[in-house]
Amino acid sequence: MAAERHSRRPAERVAPWRRARRVVLLAAAICLLPAAVSWVRTMSRPHNVGPGVATVEWVRAHGGNGLVSQIENWYYTLNAPSKGGPPLKSLPRVGVTADVAAKTPARTVAYRPPRIAPLIHPALKGEGVWRPAAAHAGPEPAVLLTTFRSDPEYPQFVAGVAWIDSRRTHLAYVPGLAEPPEISHRGPAEVPTALRRRVVATFNGGFPLETSNAGLVYRGETIAPMVNGIATLVEYRDGRVDIVRWEHGDNPSRHVWFAKQNLPPIVYGGRLNPNLSDGPEWGATVNNAVRVWRSGIGIDGHGNLIYAAANYQTVGSLAEILKRAGAVRALELDINEDWTSFISYRRPGAGEPSNLLPEMFRPSTRYLTPDERDFFAVYLRPGKGWSG
Amino acid sequence: MERVTPRRITPGARARRALLVDAILAAAIAALALSLAAGLGVVGFFALPVLALGLLWIGAERAAAGLRRRRRARA
Repeated sequence: MAAERHSRRPAERVAPWRRARRVVLLAAAICLLPAAVSWVRTMSRPHNVGPGVATVEWVRAHGGNGLVSQIENWYYTLNAPSKGGPPLKSLPRVGVTADVAAKTPARTVAYRPPRIAPLIHPALKGEGVWRPAAAHAGPEPAVLLTTFRSDPEYPQFVAGVAWIDSRRTHLAYVPGLAEPPEISHRGPAEVPTALRRRVVATFNGGFPLETSNAGLVYRGETIAPMVNGIATLVEYRDGRVDIVRWEHGDNPSRHVWFAKQNLPPIVYGGRLNPNLSDGPEWGATVNNAVRVWRSGIGIDGHGNLIYAAANYQTVGSLAEILKRAGAVRALELDINEDWTSFISYRRPGAGEPSNLLPEMFRPSTRYLTPDERDFFAVYLRPGKGWSG
Repeated sequence: MERVTPRRITPGARARRALLVDAILAAAIAALALSLAAGLGVVGFFALPVLALGLLWIGAERAAAGLRRRRRARA
């Protein structure tokens, strides 16, 4: 009888909304089980980014790229920089000695890039003036660095630019720990110890394959099918590098050693891509007009590479920087502070690594330990070594 | 014809039956979400805050109920 009385008490019945809540929470818990297993598996792999960034990358790699990009768009739009502001009094010092023009002997006939003409007047000391990246680099340093204010409307923005002499250097593509995801020769994901005596610079790669929807060739092997119309940094088996708009179909010729694609070209034939505003061809990423850390690589009329990076850039302003620095063809590389790095090594043996810009978020030793993402390493060619 | 009257069940049995029904429903919803979502990252992104908020809600409810009981006991 007691049980019967008990069962008729309305308080014993679970209210429908409580049951609905219970169903939702149980469903969420069940959903989280496989997600948690996958997340733990990813986090237990070796990585050199913080747990927050690693988690964001996990979401991105597991179907959440559009979601992450949308949140990034909102965040960066809300935190967009304001125009103007007090003028800068000096630029961050890059390189090691006085400008190349002053130090280069008259007998030198090798091509040296001209000074980048300042956009804001009066120019600051050393603005746009190339300096050798390494000490004792001789009269023809293989890597030159400079900084300049790239946008008169935002006089506090400073762009860092590096010029890489293709005659004296060899470019290598280095796969990261997690990017590209499937590859047969992954390697150490850092500058190999045996090659450190010749490394002069390292810089970030492009978007992950999953977000770029573009191709990759490594050691002549197609890792992801190449896509026509996409800007491609390519190195041939004879060591020549180029930036091209890919038009050779899925598979490369046997002359290609590596080819890394990333989005349409932003500079081509010496002109800015007329379609730098947002469109589906730019992939599922932060909108082109959003100001964020961006980087890019271009090639000048003499076949030398030009790398540029700066905070608060749109795709259009990045393209302007590369063009102003002398690039006739260029593509965008990785974006966001977590992925943008250009590191030069001032001494042989990867000694005294130095970020191109002091605000670059990742440490200058980034590529001397295994890194998540793929990157590029610039080595001095044999016989073109440190002269000091 | 003999009429079958509903079997009387204990409150505990009723609660277990309701829990079983809810669990089956939740599993069906979870299976649907996992199959329709673009990936585990998206599922985790939405499921984690839902679970966290729900647990906080239940916790706050229990804390408030405990407070009410103690006040009543004091009165």
